[in-house]
Amino acid sequence: MSAEDILVKTKLGEYLVKKGLLYTESDEWIKVQDDAITLGITDYAQKKLKYVVNVELPEPGASVKAGEPIVTLESVKSVADAYSPCSGEVLEVNEELYDAPDLINKDPYGAGWLVKIKPAEPLDESKFLSPEAYAEKIRAKEE
Amino acid sequence: MLKTARETPLLETLRKYGASVGEFAGWITAMDYGNPLEEHVATRNSVTVFDVSHMGRYLIRGDNLFEFFQKLVSKDLSKFKEGRMSGPVLLLNENAHIIDDVMLYYLSDTEWLAVVNAPNIEKDRAWMLKWAKEWGYNITIKDITLSTALIAIQGPRAPEVIEKLGVKEAESLSILEFLRRTSVLGEEAILVSRSGWTGEEVRSHGYEIMTTVEHGKRVFEAAVKAGAKPAGLIARDSLRLEMGYPLIGVDIGDDVNPIEARYWMALSLKKRGFLGEEVLRRIYREGVSKFRVAFKLKKGVRRIPRHGNNVLIDGKVVGYVTSGAYSPVLGRSIGMGYIEATHSYIGFKVTIDIRGKTYEAKILDFPLI
Repeated sequence: MSAEDILVKTKLGEYLVKKGLLYTESDEWIKVQDDAITLGITDYAQKKLKYVVNVELPEPGASVKAGEPIVTLESVKSVADAYSPCSGEVLEVNEELYDAPDLINKDPYGAGWLVKIKPAEPLDESKFLSPEAYAEKIRAKEE
Repeated sequence: MLKTARETPLLETLRKYGASVGEFAGWITAMDYGNPLEEHVATRNSVTVFDVSHMGRYLIRGDNLFEFFQKLVSKDLSKFKEGRMSGPVLLLNENAHIIDDVMLYYLSDTEWLAVVNAPNIEKDRAWMLKWAKEWGYNITIKDITLSTALIAIQGPRAPEVIEKLGVKEAESLSILEFLRRTSVLGEEAILVSRSGWTGEEVRSHGYEIMTTVEHGKRVFEAAVKAGAKPAGLIARDSLRLEMGYPLIGVDIGDDVNPIEARYWMALSLKKRGFLGEEVLRRIYREGVSKFRVAFKLKKGVRRIPRHGNNVLIDGKVVGYVTSGAYSPVLGRSIGMGYIEATHSYIGFKVTIDIRGKTYEAKILDFPLI
């Protein structure tokens, strides 16, 4: 955790929101790098989902549409989808998750990343939440 | 109506050990401490400590408690005596539908304790009072859920932990027996019992301690210091599923009867004169159309069967799943559910539709381990 990251504390728990990322309403984070994006789920999402035991990833090369489920995450408790924030092509998937799906719990913003996507068009960053706005959203949900 | 969730009185203590909290049946409590699969395995191979203070607890006082409960519950209590727990007994309605499964503790002739499922705390109390009034028994029920703590210490090393907590004579307890007003950490607890709901209690590896909230916090901490790994409700769920213990509101409820649920340990078929008895006997005589069974999936299948998934034979729906989990002991997904009586091919194969894909599963009897 860097000094700039936000730690949201509510009566239900503590959730890390990292700076330098964009956030979605459906609790994914997006890292924009050159002409590709990396997608993962947030610390808040993994804490709600609980311990992940199964991850179903798309094939590299698959085409994806904005707002459609792209990854299925199954925890000991429930099943949830992660949604693609944009239309485009899957460049790479995090194959380490097949053997160690709990990387999503241990390091949701790092080793627990899900997929890399090449967006069909440059990402419209105004459609996503800033770290501050996402932190506020968590607070509003839990209080 | 939405109700604010209540917190287990031990919540702050549980957080010290890294509890990942969540809501169960209106209670905020520890779901896990980082890895529920390790907590499950530790319960089977070593020892764990669970806060189960979300379970409802009543003190029931009255002059004819034995007679009253003998009329109210499904299981014969005629050999029930002071210092013993009843094992699960069912509260049935007149149509033999299940209201709840509860545990009774015989404290004295005029004072019993009931431990009930968290979702049914108010419902069971109202149900008991309604029938007491109807039948003319003068009983009082004091809800002690929020003023007490219930801690379960489970696993083959549980006796060691209990010894380190300074509980004398715990080793001499038989299963479902309790010591009342016994000393734990040099302070009097309400009771210490040889019991649990993980399956370890069957092997005499389970203890539960009921005491005041403040004392309970110290007991939980001391149990961890003595070597017990903190474990949460997710591990408790997969443990009970391996054993085939049904969960009220999920695997059993007012839509199934006790025969369909094969809840044999809560039934005494020779018993007469209890609520729902006539209908229950008729069901027993005439038969049922479905049975509760266990499912075991193949190794390598990562998906877990979930409540509501269909069970099929050659594409025909013959049953449904009510609970599922990943069993770290068996290294595969397991489930519980109902299958049509005509298709209860115990030991043989079916398929389960999990989110649009079908997976082969074997129908088995409980327990799975």
